[in-house]
Amino acid sequence: MRRWLAIILATALELLCEPLFLLVLLAALVLAAVAPAMHYHQFGEASRMARDAGLSSVLIGGAVVAFVGPVRTFRREFETGTAQVALAHSVSRTAFFLSKTIGCAVAYFAFVAIVSLTSLTIVNGAEIGGRFASVRGDMARLWGPSFALAVAVIVLPLVAGAVLNRFARFRFTLTANVFALLVAFAGAFYRFDAALASRLLPALALATSPALVLLASSAAFAVRFKANAAMSFVALVAACLMPALGCYCLSDALADGGSIPAGYAALAFAVLAPAVAAPLVLGVHFINGRDVQ
Amino acid sequence: MNEEIVISLKGVRKTFRDFWLRPTVNAVDGLDLSVRRGEVFGLLGPNGSGKSTTIKMILGLLDPTAGEVLMFGRSPRSLSARARLGYLPELSYMHPFLTARETLMYYAGLCGLSRNEGAKRTAELLAMVKLEDVANRAVGGFSKGMARRVALASALVGRPELLVLDEPTSGLDPVSTKEVKMLVKALAANGMTILMTSHLLADAEDVCDRVMILNHGKAVAEGRVAELGGSLEDFFLAKVGSADEFVLADFLS
Repeated sequence: MRRWLAIILATALELLCEPLFLLVLLAALVLAAVAPAMHYHQFGEASRMARDAGLSSVLIGGAVVAFVGPVRTFRREFETGTAQVALAHSVSRTAFFLSKTIGCAVAYFAFVAIVSLTSLTIVNGAEIGGRFASVRGDMARLWGPSFALAVAVIVLPLVAGAVLNRFARFRFTLTANVFALLVAFAGAFYRFDAALASRLLPALALATSPALVLLASSAAFAVRFKANAAMSFVALVAACLMPALGCYCLSDALADGGSIPAGYAALAFAVLAPAVAAPLVLGVHFINGRDVQ
Repeated sequence: MNEEIVISLKGVRKTFRDFWLRPTVNAVDGLDLSVRRGEVFGLLGPNGSGKSTTIKMILGLLDPTAGEVLMFGRSPRSLSARARLGYLPELSYMHPFLTARETLMYYAGLCGLSRNEGAKRTAELLAMVKLEDVANRAVGGFSKGMARRVALASALVGRPELLVLDEPTSGLDPVSTKEVKMLVKALAANGMTILMTSHLLADAEDVCDRVMILNHGKAVAEGRVAELGGSLEDFFLAKVGSADEFVLADFLS
């Protein structure tokens, strides 16, 4: 277990320290923050816009993280030789592959947590703004609190990362990510809406499931092929997943005010399990069959 | 030194193939080798002679095309055999985002040490390689020599019985080189079995009990250093030939 944990932590840390991770995260946060603000003239729909933008950010940004993260970390292991040293220890190749893939999933879920909590923060802000607008009829104030919270979620972590890096030698990207999570968490739960959370969580679970298929495929192909070829194969998997994504209808489910039916979620996960397991089995086969140089 | 065989290779051949499985290079060809417990064994040879390939087959990183490789009487892929092994690669492969302390803790984790044991062992090794002052700096910013010391410490984290050193003094200054040689001798004196490769024949001559010279993937000579009768360099040139000198002479003319 210690061996697995060491590899999982090192992989998650590697991805969370990646400038690319922070860049994708900031892009997703900006999308989640700005998209609803631009549509706030649709009176009464502010919260829904914020939710939709948040889920879109999780889907798009998450897909990028799930697509690129495993390819980068596995290729770097094999190309820089760190895989050689790890596999010269009493770590089986199967454990190495699976624990690194879990490490990638940890980084992916950190991304999802930050973006979705930021979305909840913005929903909260939008509702406060909505109250201001309905009471005072002041349109300028409608998106103000929401936008201010979103800016805080984006700017505060960067400032904290820079200050702690300057004065305490903390890792900039990792610190910024941790602060983004803390700020988003505080913003999302200062006025916790259990009913909203119970509707958003199944939707989030469904939104993340295709990304897990991408993540597992990306890990498997990165073990066998060089980065460009691996990415081409993962793009093929993504293309195959696209029609399935059209069946999710998350936005409609949420717009109706009801939750996603349990049977629907169960069916989605029944499909997900083999879709994730298949690339993992392929990855184990690839890593056990290859020369490590 | 006793007669227990720690590493055994019998008729080992390794042929690399391309994507279409066509043979490209015959890196090792019919190699027989045995390393006994407690000895320092040097694998010498010019570039491309198959030293690193041989080491990677011993570590279980490459599968031989033919023949048998055993470490502690087991397959090199056996986890129980690899648990008794420490490995220093030719280049200091490390995660650049980890600090020196985190790097050693990471390898302590891979050796199965608990967090407390790992922290204690890490502190010991940082002191041994004299990197305590920079323990919390990312290894990506280290000089080649400092990175080499971290890599050497990483190889010793799990208190291995067998240490495989691929060019251990590569990139080190003369003082550090001498320290590494003294460390190898001290480890050998404590009963550790050491298999090392080196381009620097003087290093091998100083620390090895027995050497094997490889050329074009084949063993061209094997014997105890003390019984060579002359310098290892003369012996090496006699067995491998000084082809480079002829090439250079042709070029200059």
